[in-house]
Formats: sequence, C-alpha cells, structure tokens
Amino acid sequence: MHIITHACTQCGTVVSANELESNRVMKCPGLDCENVLRFTDLDQADQEHFLDNKASYEL
Amino acid sequence: MKGVLLSGGTGSRLRPITHTGPKQLVPVANKPVLEYAVEDLKEAGITEIGVILGHKGREEIQNLLGDGSDYGVEITYIVQGNPLGLAHAAGCAKDFVGDDDFVMYLGDNILKEGVVDLVESFESGDFGAGIALQEVDHPQQFGIADVDDQGNVTELIEKPDEPPTNLALIGMYVFSPAVFDAIEKLEPSWRGELEITDAIQSLLEDGYAIDSHVVEGWWKDTGKPEDILEANQLVLEDKSLRKRGTVGDDATVDGRVELAESATIEDGAVVRGPVSIADGAVIKEGTYVGPYTAVGPNSTLEGVHIENSVVIGESSINTSGRIVDSLLGKGANIGSADDFLPEGRRLVVGENSQLKL
Repeated sequence: MHIITHACTQCGTVVSANELESNRVMKCPGLDCENVLRFTDLDQADQEHFLDNKASYEL
Repeated sequence: MKGVLLSGGTGSRLRPITHTGPKQLVPVANKPVLEYAVEDLKEAGITEIGVILGHKGREEIQNLLGDGSDYGVEITYIVQGNPLGLAHAAGCAKDFVGDDDFVMYLGDNILKEGVVDLVESFESGDFGAGIALQEVDHPQQFGIADVDDQGNVTELIEKPDEPPTNLALIGMYVFSPAVFDAIEKLEPSWRGELEITDAIQSLLEDGYAIDSHVVEGWWKDTGKPEDILEANQLVLEDKSLRKRGTVGDDATVDGRVELAESATIEDGAVVRGPVSIADGAVIKEGTYVGPYTAVGPNSTLEGVHIENSVVIGESSINTSGRIVDSLLGKGANIGSADDFLPEGRRLVVGENSQLKL
C-alpha cells in the first residue's frame, strides 16, 4: 500500500493522508501549533492516488 | 539509527482506565509505560524518535513527552489516524526515517533488558530487519519465528498448529529502510490491517537476511489490567528505590520503598516494600501498604489494607477493607459504608468497570 503523509511546515508534525482526507481542513494536531492543514496540501498525484484507492485506506 | 514509537490504539482491554486517556500513559511503578520506551531508546543511543499517534490521547502524549528535551531526545509526532496496522504505522514514518535504520517499539510494551542488545545484534551484520523473540510456553498462541543455527530467521508463522520453535515475536523490531518497499507492496490481511509480519516475510522472500535476538529478561505487553499489575511487580522488583519523603517516627517501613520527596508516611502506618509512593501522597495511621503496590501522586490512604495494586493518583481511600490485585483509575475514591443504613456497598461505577465484591 502506498502510504501518503504530509509534514506541517510550521512544527514538523507528520499527518497521514487518511487523517487529512477525513477532515479536509484541520488545525495541525501538533501541540500549540496553529497551522491549518488541508488535504489539498498533498501533491496532486498523491491526492488522486488516495481518492482512487480510498477504500483501502479505510480498512 | 532512529526510533519509531507506536502510541496509537484504543486501549479497549484496559477500559475503563482508557476512557480518559491513552493506554501508553498508564503508570507502572509510578511512571507512564511510554517513558520506559523512550528511556530504552535513549539508552541504545537513539535520540531521534518519531512518536506515532492514533486517535486517542494525542494531546496527553504530547503534553507528557513534549519535544523530548526533558528526556535528552528529539521527538517528531506522526499522526497515523485510523489504526490500519503496524506496517501502516511504520509506513507513516517513512519521511521521518529517511535513509536510516530504525527501531520500532510498541509503546505499551515494557521489557527488562531494553533494546541495546537487539540494536547491537542488528548492527553486527547486513540485515534487512531484526526481530526480538522470546521463548513462550504455548507457541500455538503467538506469531512464531523459525531460525537457523546462526540465528537468521527463515520463516514467520502466525499461531501455528505445529510450531517449529517456541520463539514468539514480542513486538520489538529493527528495520532497514528496505522495509518501506516491502510495505508499499503489501495488501491488507484477512483482518483488514497491514501486517508487519507480512512486511518481514516480504523482506525474506526478497533475499534479505533477518536477524533475531532472543530476549532473556522479562517482557510485558501492558494491554490488560492484570498485565499492568504484573509489570508493576516486575519493575518494583528490579528498580532502585529511594526514600526521600517524610516518615513518621512511629511509622513502620520494611523492605525497599520509593518515597517521593513530598510524600508522607504518617505515624501508625505500615508500609512493606517493594512499594512506590509518589509526590503528594499521604499514608495515614492504620493503613497497611503491602508489597508490589504503587500509590500515585496526591493520593490519601487511611485505614485501608492494600497490596499488589496500582493507585494511579488523585485518589482518596479511607475504607477499612482490604484491596488486593486492583487497578484504581485517577481520581477514584473509595470510602467506608460502615455507618450507613441499610447496610450494603454503595457504588458509582463507570462503563466497562470490573468489580469483584
């Protein structure tokens, strides 16, 4: 399985694509970090791969 | 070498304790299980640690470990979200790990000897992975490894009917970055997870040597209340315990007792070690605290007989009854019903609690 993640540009916290996709827009889960993370922060190819294979990320 | 510390999971087997926090923060000998793992990694020379977070307890775990500086390490948090299996958790750490090897440590596990030998064994050869094994009495109930004369793993078998060895996988691994290619090729197992054993099997099939290290000392998965009590016993048995708090002149303290600086054992109390008593705890007159008990911070015990138990903290216990083999959650209070009519026990018990009266 291709595992896709995104690192917060402010605090470095890494968030998996399934977490990003389920929230679409979310406050960074890093403690005291106010950055906003979006599913669309992922590369276009990663977004498409995730959405094409979404069922496998919801095991 | 980096460390990946798994701290997700629902902790369902530890309910109701885990209704209010992650299982990795349940204390053993007054220290959260997760801290033992961080210290083990540090002892092995690993100072860059990725902590995998699930849905539960993200803030509590970050509050405890912070940026790692209190432990002399540097921590990066990795949010796995859905619990899609150990291999998925490892895969989420790919960018953090980069081209390094890494130890993968289950954050609710605790083992006597740490991971130094596991890491040294892995580094002594050219391996795709290294796995920690332990001899078990009922290998049919575990994931089992078959090994050759040099200790190289030749096969992994999940709960075999006819086990070739009694060497069970205990959830401590060392991986080369090659594991990420193996994970990329994985499909979910019958139980719908990406299995780390499948990733190791894939490495084997791709020709990588897999090292094994047999753990000689004790190892505990602290997933259930009885496991917490047993881990508490094992740690108190081994730990160096210091009395720094206040002991009344007419208190009786036998054996090894850890007494935090602001903890008090008052006159007329009896404490028989090994016992750990945390900061702010008060053991009052008429109380007996017996072996293998940990009394958490800011707890007050009066008149009770308690042994082989873990009081997590912020509790008031003033019954004259006997409490044994028990795990009491934070803020749990136990009083006396002696003066109440009609006679009987009075309970306010949360969901998933377990009582034996």
